Amino acid sequence: MKEIKISVENFSLFYGNKQALKNISMDIYANRITALIGPSGCGKSTFIRSINRMNDLIDSVRINGRIVIDGKNIYDKEIDVVNLRKKIGMVFQKSNLFPMTVYENIVFGVKINGLRDKKKLDEIVERSLNNAALFEEVKDRLHTPALSLSGGQQQRLCIARTLAIEPQIILMDEPASALDPISTAKIEELIHSLKQNYTVVIVTHNMQQAARVSDHTAFFYIGELVEYDKTSKMFTKPSIKQTEDYVTGRFG
Amino acid sequence: MERQFEIQIEKLRTRLIKMCSLVDEQVEFALKAIDEGNPELAELVIERDDKVDKYDVKIEKVCQKIFALNQPVAMDLRLIMSSLTINTNLERIGDLAVNLAESVTELGKKPGFFDKTRLKEMSILSREMIKNAIDSFIENDPELAQKVIKSDDDVDELDRANHTILKEIMKENPENVEPGIALLEVSRHLERLADHATNIAEDVYFIVEAQMIKHKYEKYLFSEDEGDDESSND
Repeated sequence: MKEIKISVENFSLFYGNKQALKNISMDIYANRITALIGPSGCGKSTFIRSINRMNDLIDSVRINGRIVIDGKNIYDKEIDVVNLRKKIGMVFQKSNLFPMTVYENIVFGVKINGLRDKKKLDEIVERSLNNAALFEEVKDRLHTPALSLSGGQQQRLCIARTLAIEPQIILMDEPASALDPISTAKIEELIHSLKQNYTVVIVTHNMQQAARVSDHTAFFYIGELVEYDKTSKMFTKPSIKQTEDYVTGRFG
Repeated sequence: MERQFEIQIEKLRTRLIKMCSLVDEQVEFALKAIDEGNPELAELVIERDDKVDKYDVKIEKVCQKIFALNQPVAMDLRLIMSSLTINTNLERIGDLAVNLAESVTELGKKPGFFDKTRLKEMSILSREMIKNAIDSFIENDPELAQKVIKSDDDVDELDRANHTILKEIMKENPENVEPGIALLEVSRHLERLADHATNIAEDVYFIVEAQMIKHKYEKYLFSEDEGDDESSND
């Protein structure tokens, strides 16, 4: 039986008068990779940003419905957004490292949370880099500027930095779209290995990538969730014509 | 603007349809050659098998190219996957037409020693199954495909009856063994033709309905149970 990690219930989101998400309901499973696909402007990025309340930063945003994580509606008034975001790491399309060393980038979050013990910090750095499949490549460069790493390494460092705060959920918004095929393959392998310990939600424009990495796929179109099913089914026998037309490249 | 991918798919379909009509004609000529005891027509069937083989290679190449360059999914994936197996079945039907043509000389040695009514009936049925299987592919017609699948049992039954009777005839007189074996082979070739037609029909059903029915068609055709085996990434 699959455990539900995130339960989205009749969730709608408006930017001013414009409705960007229309009554979305779906269950996202623990220790699974869920891919969100759909043409530009379909709402998939808005949706992923709703899961860690990133959209709160935009003044005109208004929501209806609930997103329940571990039994609690994250939009309830008593929810502490900072604590919520500790549970939910996020990786973006372009790596957004701090202009610091590799080491400092990884420990930045945990230091803010109060951890100062050098030995523990060292452990966190090694574990996070190992889990992000980067340790071997950068172990001799921990104290060099993070921005001197290659694009693929920088992106894996972003993932390592996310893992350092030990989140339960990792959101990825096009994590490999700016990378070459070899770096992309490494990130994809990494995403696979992450699901042992984390629940991963990934937005991707690359349909083959969604097919390769995810267990479940959700197809969004103009703010609506058109179809959500096992990835193997979505790419072999989708139930809805619109999904079939999209995954076969007939529109979008 | 027509997409490059659609042009490739159209090319594949056109080649398959051409191969279908060639193979269908090969079977028609082979059966006619047996019926008329016509060795010239049989020879023509044998010669033209090269052409069937060439189509086989061409179709595989188009499929390979589409897989490599387009990574098809969903209905496109089903079409390309099935085109490969339909192609293999058509090529095997072509080979069986050659086998049938090759038996013309042997059958001519002792005409009339066996009542060929059942063989004639098998020929008509197998031929019709091939024709319908091909039509179901061209027309994307799953109902016609189902009709083909249902006919396979009738051909199997006729083949079994031929075996029983021919065995008895061969037991009666050792001179009957050679022509008896030739007829057994013809019966087996006709039965195999029907099997390949059935395979094609199952593929057509898969292309159109996204449902695999091979190996368990009775369960599907005669019960409500869908019997769908969903593979999972889990």
